[in-house]
Amino acid sequence: MRRKTALLLALSFGLLAAGARADDEPSALFASGAKALDEGRPNEAIAAFEALADRGVVDAAASYDRGLAYASRVHIGAEVPGDLGRAAQGFEEARDLTRDPGLAEDASRALTVVRSEVARRRTRAGQPVEVDPGRSLSRTVAGLLAEGTWAVAAAVASALLSLGLLVRRWSTDRRARITGGVTAGVAAPVLLVSVAMTLAARHDRLDVREAVVVSAAARPVDDRGVVIAGATPLPEGARVEVVESRGGSTRIRSGSSESWVLGDALRPLER
Amino acid sequence: MRLLLLTLAASLALILAGPARAWAQTAPQLQVQADQDTVGVGDILHLELTADSGDAMPTDPQPGATPGFSVRGASSSTRVNIGGNRGGRFGLTVDWALQAQRVGVFTVGPPSVVVGSSRFAARAITVKVVPSGQAPHRPQQQQQVQPQQPFGFSPFDPWRGLFPGLDHGMPDEPAEPPNLTTDPKLALDAARGNFYFLHAVVDTPAAVVGQQVTFSVYEYIDMGAGVSIEVDGTDVHDPTAADFVKHSLQRDDQDAVFVGFGAVAGRTWKVNLVRRWALFPIHAGDLAIGPMSVSLVRPRSAAGSKRTTENLRIHVTEPPAAGRPPGYTVGDVGKLTLSAQVTPRQVDQGGAVGVHLELAGTGSVPAAVPLPVRPGVEWLAPEEHDQLGATGHDTFGGKRSFDYVVRLHAPGEVDLGEVALPFWDPEQRRYDVARANLGKVSVRPSAASPAGSSQAPEEMLAGLPRGRAAMEGAGPAKSHVDDSPVFWLAGVLSWPVLLGVGVAGRAGARRVATSWLARRASPATELKERLTAADTACRGADSRAADAAIARALEAASIAHAGVSVRGAVGGEVVERLERAGVATGTASGFAELMRECEAARFAPDLADVTAARERWARARRAIREMERR
Repeated sequence: MRRKTALLLALSFGLLAAGARADDEPSALFASGAKALDEGRPNEAIAAFEALADRGVVDAAASYDRGLAYASRVHIGAEVPGDLGRAAQGFEEARDLTRDPGLAEDASRALTVVRSEVARRRTRAGQPVEVDPGRSLSRTVAGLLAEGTWAVAAAVASALLSLGLLVRRWSTDRRARITGGVTAGVAAPVLLVSVAMTLAARHDRLDVREAVVVSAAARPVDDRGVVIAGATPLPEGARVEVVESRGGSTRIRSGSSESWVLGDALRPLER
Repeated sequence: MRLLLLTLAASLALILAGPARAWAQTAPQLQVQADQDTVGVGDILHLELTADSGDAMPTDPQPGATPGFSVRGASSSTRVNIGGNRGGRFGLTVDWALQAQRVGVFTVGPPSVVVGSSRFAARAITVKVVPSGQAPHRPQQQQQVQPQQPFGFSPFDPWRGLFPGLDHGMPDEPAEPPNLTTDPKLALDAARGNFYFLHAVVDTPAAVVGQQVTFSVYEYIDMGAGVSIEVDGTDVHDPTAADFVKHSLQRDDQDAVFVGFGAVAGRTWKVNLVRRWALFPIHAGDLAIGPMSVSLVRPRSAAGSKRTTENLRIHVTEPPAAGRPPGYTVGDVGKLTLSAQVTPRQVDQGGAVGVHLELAGTGSVPAAVPLPVRPGVEWLAPEEHDQLGATGHDTFGGKRSFDYVVRLHAPGEVDLGEVALPFWDPEQRRYDVARANLGKVSVRPSAASPAGSSQAPEEMLAGLPRGRAAMEGAGPAKSHVDDSPVFWLAGVLSWPVLLGVGVAGRAGARRVATSWLARRASPATELKERLTAADTACRGADSRAADAAIARALEAASIAHAGVSVRGAVGGEVVERLERAGVATGTASGFAELMRECEAARFAPDLADVTAARERWARARRAIREMERR
């Protein structure tokens, strides 16, 4: 009996220890990466942060430090092609994920530094200097307010529209009827816009996949994967919307234009 | 006599000519070509050298210098053309796969081979390397057709070397050699063709990306066929393995290797190994190895028929994510060791040291190693050397060496760090790391190279913020109100729906009331009411009331069934109206008579008999039914 109890206790302890190890592993990886970054060993830092990403860890600070590790490699003159794009991807991801305004600000600042370098290189190469074409108009408008704010606006506009119509129809007082008509007239377009923006924001959150260009030579290709002659390379570090993927190519939307690029030239943004 | 002298002179010339060929090595014909003159960084360039010699088989092919490229593999094939009395020709074709490492214009080669005791070089070629993705599109590679004599055995004489003494003469109908011991491992359930067939096998049906899969093709020759067998050397197609990196495990000049006898379908077959490749899968999935095919020329009954190997599939996965060490690159699989030498250990600031890294082992030996880059330490592009090939019966491996020049810009004790290359060991089924510690180098300060001099590289990405020392952690799960259908139903749609229901409800109620009233005013409804009233009145004692009710019932019946009102009609007018409405004359007359009797009884000065009224009601109901049946 005593032996059985001891066995059970040992088993439980083993399971707990294994669980704790599994939990600690990402933290240990992050710590080793942060230490390597701090000590000026960007390759080791990149290896640790990429290992974290391979394990499916999505964390704003990890993305930010990963971006810094790639940027550090450029900074010390040991750049590997694609480092600037990968740095930008880390900063963009950190900015999207973080709840810390300080981290968001640092990520934005680092992003500016990286994109400035990309712009400088494109200028030297005689290419267009624009490095961030931005989002489409509808996504920009939808992003003006939070998704929840659009939703609340839709509910309030719906109630006001109904109330206005109700008063206008059944009230016997002329003033009340006019007030009801005006209220309904204002609430109707507000309802339409806010419902559309709520749906757009929701679609943006659930369905839109975004990526960052991580190659300095990501040229648009045609549907056979052949580089389009004379096409300007997409700016390294640019944030693009992924429309669809087919074979080794990906159709992207950059600003208001769409094109195909080879999938290796992109790195998706985690959410 | 003159004839005798001529014969002697000719014989002497022939005797001298023979050995002369043996020691006077003539230069082989060498052709070199690359499949592209412009490639992108990371792309594979195929450098092909074709050597053709009349003296001996070219051996020891070398690609020469490959600046800007690393050699990822090589495949080769040999051919022998038997030219009878004119002597033979020996051919070697080598295809090196070179991976572009950096941008620039490079002179590759010259590739060379050894013929006899001399090495002969072809011309070098110039290749432009552009950034990844900018190279012109490479055309789809066609299936390679091998030159003659692909298997290194003579199809005219498949028994050569097997039976001593028979090498110079093979009977057309060989009898099956007696008492041959067959190898059970070579046995098959059924032959894949008559006289001759090919059979392909792999050592494992499942592997991880980068793990060696040993692929072998055997030819089976029927020992009891009794005919000579010949393969068309111009119609041999190697297997396709587009999803693998391929390395031959056989020597370039190796003949088909006799491996034993196998029993197939009750017959004895001679089995030769004709291909043995180490295949390294380059991505996950169910990857196909296409068939190898040959055509038979003889026997005549099978001339032109194809013999193909099986289509094979290898299930390829990535090594497990659990326990994967940082820095692991998918595809680094095998058993690897890493060693390093750094010389000198003392250098002036701005000077350089040499770092020699040697990566050795079996499997897919990586073409690059991760370097421990540090601030103030500049690693220049390495010079690479490969010695890769078959390391055993069926293992591919060898060593790669990387010679770096490392410039040191900062003074002091500089720790170069450690080179660590994680890999997956398929035998142990676990990750391992090959390590080499580079140690420290003492860098003496130099007045000629102060930090911050004009020669210092331009600082890039200045002003980067500091990193974070702790993870942010997962925040509370964000819920979105618009993800719930309740929000859309209750929050947005409910108000308009309620309003719509209110408006529609009022309109609906009005419509129901109108239709109800209309229904109440219909002739059928009125007739029903009149009939009930007449029935009730006839059960009472008031004969006048009963006759009045009967008269109203008849009037209602004329409206309901004939569509004509007889109210107020007098005399023969009732019959006329009913007949105009299509009622039969008899029925109309009876109907009119009943109405007249009711009117007379109602207004008679004496009280009429209620029994007579009931009798009229019975007749009235019959008349109403007749009118209804009309």
